[in-house]
Amino acid sequence: MSNATLPAGARDPGYPTERENYLTNSSGILSWMFTLDHKRIGMMYLIGVVSAFAIGGLLALAIRLHLLKPDGLLFTGAEGNNIYNQVFTLHGAIMVFLFIIPSIPAALGNFLVPVMLGAKDVGFPRLNLSSFYLWVFGALFFVSALFSSGLDTGWTFYTPYSTTTDTSVILATLGAFILGFSSIFTGLNFIVTINTMRPPGMTWFKMPLFLWATYATSIIQVLATPVLGITLLLLIAERTMHIGIFDPEFNGDPVTYQHFFWFYSHPAVYIMILPAFGIISELISVHSHKHIFGYRFIAYSSIAIALLGFLVWGHHMFTAGMSSLTTIVFSALTFTVSVPSAIKVFNWLATMYRGSISLTTPMCYAISFIFLFTIGGLTGLFLGTLATDLHLHDTYFVVAHFHYVMVGGTLIAFLGGVFHWWPKMVGKLYNETHGRIASLLVFLGFNGTFLPQFVLGSRGMPRRYATYDPEFAFLHQLSTFGALLLGIGLLYAFIVLMVSLAKGRRAPANPWGGVTLEWQCTSPPPYYNFERPPVVGDPYDFHNLEWDAENERYVMTEPERKLVPESTPDEVPAHAGGQE
Amino acid sequence: MFPAIESLAMTFPTLLADKNADFWFPIQGSSFAEEVDWVYDLILYISLAFFVPMMVFMVWCLFKYIKARGTKAESQLSHHTTLELTWSIGPSVLLVWMFVQGSISFLDMRSPPEGSYDIGLQAFKWGWTMDYGNGTFHPELHIVKDEPTKLSMRSTDVIHSVFIPAFRVKKDVVPGRYNYMWFKPTIASEQISAEQLAKLKKQNEGTTWDYDKVHTIETEDGEKEVQVTPEGYTFFDLYCAEYCGTNHSEMQTVVVVHETQADLDAWIKANSSRGEVSMEEWGELLYGRRGCSGCHSVDGSKLVGPTFKDVYGSQHGLTTGENQIVDENYVRESILAPKAKVVAGYQPVMPSYKGQLSDDDIASIIAYLKSISANAPSQPAAAQAEPEAESAE
Ligand code: HEM
Ligand SMILES: [Cu+2]
Repeated sequence: MSNATLPAGARDPGYPTERENYLTNSSGILSWMFTLDHKRIGMMYLIGVVSAFAIGGLLALAIRLHLLKPDGLLFTGAEGNNIYNQVFTLHGAIMVFLFIIPSIPAALGNFLVPVMLGAKDVGFPRLNLSSFYLWVFGALFFVSALFSSGLDTGWTFYTPYSTTTDTSVILATLGAFILGFSSIFTGLNFIVTINTMRPPGMTWFKMPLFLWATYATSIIQVLATPVLGITLLLLIAERTMHIGIFDPEFNGDPVTYQHFFWFYSHPAVYIMILPAFGIISELISVHSHKHIFGYRFIAYSSIAIALLGFLVWGHHMFTAGMSSLTTIVFSALTFTVSVPSAIKVFNWLATMYRGSISLTTPMCYAISFIFLFTIGGLTGLFLGTLATDLHLHDTYFVVAHFHYVMVGGTLIAFLGGVFHWWPKMVGKLYNETHGRIASLLVFLGFNGTFLPQFVLGSRGMPRRYATYDPEFAFLHQLSTFGALLLGIGLLYAFIVLMVSLAKGRRAPANPWGGVTLEWQCTSPPPYYNFERPPVVGDPYDFHNLEWDAENERYVMTEPERKLVPESTPDEVPAHAGGQE
Repeated sequence: MFPAIESLAMTFPTLLADKNADFWFPIQGSSFAEEVDWVYDLILYISLAFFVPMMVFMVWCLFKYIKARGTKAESQLSHHTTLELTWSIGPSVLLVWMFVQGSISFLDMRSPPEGSYDIGLQAFKWGWTMDYGNGTFHPELHIVKDEPTKLSMRSTDVIHSVFIPAFRVKKDVVPGRYNYMWFKPTIASEQISAEQLAKLKKQNEGTTWDYDKVHTIETEDGEKEVQVTPEGYTFFDLYCAEYCGTNHSEMQTVVVVHETQADLDAWIKANSSRGEVSMEEWGELLYGRRGCSGCHSVDGSKLVGPTFKDVYGSQHGLTTGENQIVDENYVRESILAPKAKVVAGYQPVMPSYKGQLSDDDIASIIAYLKSISANAPSQPAAAQAEPEAESAE
């Protein structure tokens, strides 16, 4: 359409003033450190998890460089193997506990959940701040473990190795214990927020899918994390007091530890991936400008995954010597989780069909996600099937599988989310062309790194090896070159965002054409998000969105869709949402 | 980066030339291999049958529906219940098929046939000891072709895991319990001729035997590349697959498959006792074979345990602060009850060899230690060791 004139009634919140803008409304380092604003806490988390990712990423590059040569390239000499073992342990532990678990829920979730919900803040702002500081505290424990005598147990802390090694297991497990509390607090806060702080009109089925995903994730965080906490305490008790639960020398059983550990850690992998599903649902719909396909199926499948995720932990122990019956039951249960994951992928594809797709940077990440996550999910089938798992367990095939899911899935979704909400968070637009090139490099580098590892694994290359047989050298080298490319791509993406801070154009309220509530406040949002309770409609109804080419922004054209009487907010308590 | 590119150029042909192995799998060395590979392929093809159309569809959408900004979508269809139910329930049928196939094969792998050939396996940081009965121990796994073989496995320290890729089997070895595993090898190892082996030995004089090294040998029909054991057998790899600390990646041994039971018996007999060799030589063999070399060097370098170079006859400081002279009694005690007296600066991690080494074996090891120590008293080793070993029991 020709856009000089817009239909009457176009609504756009315009730009925030200095005083409204949450970034500038108060200044000074203390105003950040003691802030109770969920948006600022989200930003602090973002800086934190990205720093953790940078450390974990450098360690990953060290691992890959070392494996260029069968006898090892970087860590040679008498201590070489020990150093390598510490490097992969810290890489795994940092990536899992400090990056992937908190990345989307704590960084993006904190920023977005109240805004998308239409609330002023989370339910317990002080708890929110304390969960951030617990994260920092836990991270410090990890780093101090690194600087005392390292940690070489693998991120899984399997007993009895972890009860007998002389590295800093206690420091690291205490760190993980504290991080667990941080995670529980975040989850609790979101559950309370979503249950009680929905504005009038925001029913469960009017909630954006990102909120459904966050809600499902929070349930897991609150229910599963305590088990990890207890397990880690028992591990410490075993190490210091030889209480005899896990260590056979004192009549314990090491497999018990594995049951405990995976009872948390398997649901935890869904803490890692569910929020990513939420992000992808938003990205695909917004950048295809089309109603998400099968909203209810997607919403329910998140909850199904959260619940089923509690039943499949045994599939990490198919080779440990459980009874045949137990093993088969766990295999069967494992397959049940693949159904809800598959449903989502089909729904995303159907959403793109007959849409109006903009190949923006976030959309590039979203389609990378679909590609990579599908590979990750399908290769899970090889591992869930008993006969093939016996061969593939603890090989590079497993390494490739979970990297496809967690890096190809979660990290890519996180990047997509950051690029999608970046204009909202900082009020600046980045350079699209460079953003897209970076996403392409990440995609190619990622596949270069991990595709060869499937072959390595099925040919019999065990994981966690500091040196390897020469016949595997070629595939390992391919993988290393892929990792270098991936590193370059990620650095590129980071630079694109940093440059936008300095040089980017000012972002309009709605640069992509989203209908969810966060696009109805200014970019960046005002301190209290909304001046008055926003008008809630179907979060994926794009009918009334018009493109204003002159100002390069989307605007809502319908004057006020469902008129909420002026007085409603005062009369109806904030937690009374839910009635249609 | 140059060494990497060099070895890249070197290994590319190896990957492709790895005979009997296809792109995905190592050679099929056991009766399970074919079945496991079949299930693998089944899942692979089903997965591709989903993956390829889905990705084609996605890319097609990108070509067809990328529109200028501001264009409205052609449709705002928000759901289609029949379609959604179909694609939820349809694939489940295939999942059930995979699960069933995988479980059937798994049950086979879990039930060793009656009367399987039983071999004991002990895993320790970082090596393996196979127990062939009658006091015969060896780090290599020797079995017979077409004979169902069962491993009764235990660990002396942490969790390890036995992984033989060519057989498609894996099982954890958990301390505090026995785990079992069985398989039926279907391909016998070859043995290179005695002359060829002698030639290889000569080429590698003075170094420890490198199982991974690829040797080129002459045969009637040209040259051939082989990896062989010190006795000249080709082999399958056996890895430790559960992370177990420092030398996890070096915790490997080999599986040699003999053509007949008589062959294996002959091999066991040849490895069962010292026979004609001298005590020092036998001691050196045991040092390599029984896993001592995994933790104790003979060149003075510090590994997990103290080096053996010049140790015999020297003074050791213990963790208790006392001093201990390394003599026959101390060595013997350290082998049978390693945790009784631990050298300062080391962890009490050595497993006991009680019941696994005969008096003659222990005496031989002592003789070997003397032979590599500048501190050893100068009497002939045998004269000293023999009466000691007898009186100690
Ligand atoms: C939501 C998507 C998924 C996530 C986040 C995920 C994550 C992971 C992670 C992190 C591991 C490795 C843990 C470790 O040992 O360090 C793993 C292993 C495994 N996954 Fe997945 N996975 C997903 C999908 C699936 C699916 C759909 C299946 C099966 C149908 C599956 C089956 C398995 C099995 C059986 C293992 C254990 C393999 C072994 O150690 O032998 N996964 N997964
Ligand atoms: Cu091991």
